[in-house]
Amino acid sequence: MGIVTILWEKWVEFRRDFYKITLAAMIAPLMYLIVFGMGIQTLSHGEPYLNFLIPGVVSLTTMNGSFNAIAQNLTVQRLYEKAFDQVMISPTPLWQFIVGQILGGALRGLYAGAVILLLVSPIRTGLVFNVVSILILLLNGAVFSTIAVVVSFYAKNHTDAPRFSSYIIMPMAYLCNTFFRVEQLPGILGTIISVLPLSQTSRMIRAIAGGGNADAYGVMILIAYLAVFSGIAFVYIYKKQNI
Amino acid sequence: MIETKNVTKKFNQFTAVDSLNLKVETGDFFGLLGPNGAGKTTTIGMLSTVLLPTEGEIRIDGQKLTRKTPELRRKLSVITQEYSMRQDMTMDEIMEYQGRLYFMPRRKIREKTEELLDFCGLTPFRRRTVRRLSGGMKRKLMVCRALLTEPEILLLDEPTAGMDALARRQMWNLLRKLNEQGITILLTTHYMEEAQTLCNRVAMMHEGKLEDVNTPKGWIRLLGSYAVDQMTGEGVKSRFFHDRMEAINYLAGLEGSTALRDTTLEDVFVERVGSYLEKSKGHGR
Repeated sequence: MGIVTILWEKWVEFRRDFYKITLAAMIAPLMYLIVFGMGIQTLSHGEPYLNFLIPGVVSLTTMNGSFNAIAQNLTVQRLYEKAFDQVMISPTPLWQFIVGQILGGALRGLYAGAVILLLVSPIRTGLVFNVVSILILLLNGAVFSTIAVVVSFYAKNHTDAPRFSSYIIMPMAYLCNTFFRVEQLPGILGTIISVLPLSQTSRMIRAIAGGGNADAYGVMILIAYLAVFSGIAFVYIYKKQNI
Repeated sequence: MIETKNVTKKFNQFTAVDSLNLKVETGDFFGLLGPNGAGKTTTIGMLSTVLLPTEGEIRIDGQKLTRKTPELRRKLSVITQEYSMRQDMTMDEIMEYQGRLYFMPRRKIREKTEELLDFCGLTPFRRRTVRRLSGGMKRKLMVCRALLTEPEILLLDEPTAGMDALARRQMWNLLRKLNEQGITILLTTHYMEEAQTLCNRVAMMHEGKLEDVNTPKGWIRLLGSYAVDQMTGEGVKSRFFHDRMEAINYLAGLEGSTALRDTTLEDVFVERVGSYLEKSKGHGR
C-alpha cells in the first residue's frame, strides 16, 4: 500500500529530526501558556484562564504541527529536490501519495499536541482529554495537512508556504477560539471566524475538556474542509498539466 | 515499445514539443539529440507523466500512458537531468523509499541495494545523506535507484552530465550491458560520442520537432564518412566526403594545417544544428 510508504518516509524524517521537531512543537505553545495562562493570571467565566487556554493551545498546536510538517517539506520536494518527480513516475497511485501525506501530517500534529498535553499534565486543571478529543485533534490535523498539500502544490517558490502561514495560519491561531471566545467578535467577522476549522476544533476540545461533548455540527464542518481541500489536491495531481 | 502519436506540449504560447511522432522499439537503445531547447527534456517529462501532453497521446506497449496507469509506470524508470532525490536521506533510505514506491518486497530491496551500491562503488558511503555526496556519487546513486526496480524501459535525461571521464565510461558499459539484457533505453545527451557509442538509433530534434531518425552510421553516411579539417583564421573548417580518394585529393590541394579523419556523430550534429539555425534565420525566428 502506497500510503504506508509515505508514512514510512514521514517516519524516517521524524526519527532523524526528532529533537528539532519536538522543540519546535513546544516553544510557541509553552510561551502562550506561560505568558497568558500563568503570567497574566486572570479568570474567565469564573474559572482560571489557564483552563480556557489549554484546549485552545492544544488545538492550535495540532494545526501548526500538521501544516508545518507538510507545507514546507512538500514544497521543497516538488520545486527544489525534484524528489516528487520520482513519485509521479512510480506505480504508487497518486491518491495514495496524497492520503499518506494527510495522515502523516495529522499524526505529526497529534504528536505536537500530545507533547503539550504531557507538559501541562503536572498542572491540576481537572480538564478532560479522551479518545474523542484525540479523534477530533487528528481530524483537525488532517484538515490542515490537506490545506498544506494544496498550498505546496500551488507554491511557485519556497517562500510561498511560509507566506501562506503568515497570512492565514497565524491569524487563525490568534482569532479562532484559542485565546477568547469567537462570540466576542462583532457581527459578520464573528460568523466567518466561527466556521473556520480551528474555531470548531477549539470549541469541541474545550467542551470535552469541561466535561461536555463534541457535536456533529463541528465534526461535519471539519469533514467538509477535509473533503473540499482533498478534492482540490486530487484534481491537481491527476489533471494539472505541469506539476 | 514507446510510441508517441502527434504529441504536442505547449507552455502558454510557446510550443516546446510539436506533433512528435516517435517509435522506440522494445530492446532499442534510442538517442534523442538536439540543441538546447529542442524539447528533449520536455519529452522525457511527458514520458514520466510529470508533464501532460497538450495534444496527442503516449503509448507504452500499446496502452495509453496516463497518471492513472500505475501498472504501466511500473515498467518505467527515469534518471532525470537534475538530481531528483531527498537531500536529507541516506543512500540506503533513498533506495528503500524507491523500492517501497514500486511495492518491492523488503528482502529484495535489501539484496538489490547491496548489489547495486557495490557495483557502483558506493557501499562505503551508504550511510551518508545525499547532501554530503559529490556530484558524481549522486549521479551513480540515481542510476542505482533507477535500476533497483528492474525496469523494462529506462528513460535517461543526460545521465552522465557532471561525471568524470572514467565514471562516464563505467556508466556506458553498464548501460550497454543493460540494453543487452533486453532493457529498452531512451537517452538524451549532449555528448555525441555517448550517442554514437551506445545508441542503435538516433533522432534529431529541433524546436520541438522530430527532424529525422537514423542509425549513427546512417547519419554519418548521409553527411559523408570522411572529414577534412582545415585550420583557418576563423577556426576549423570541415568538409565531408563520401569517398576516401575524393577526400585525399581535396586534402592534397589545401595549404596550412589540415587533417583527414572519420566523420563523427558530433560532425553530423554540428552540421544539422547549423543548418537548422540558418533555416530559422531564414524564417525570421
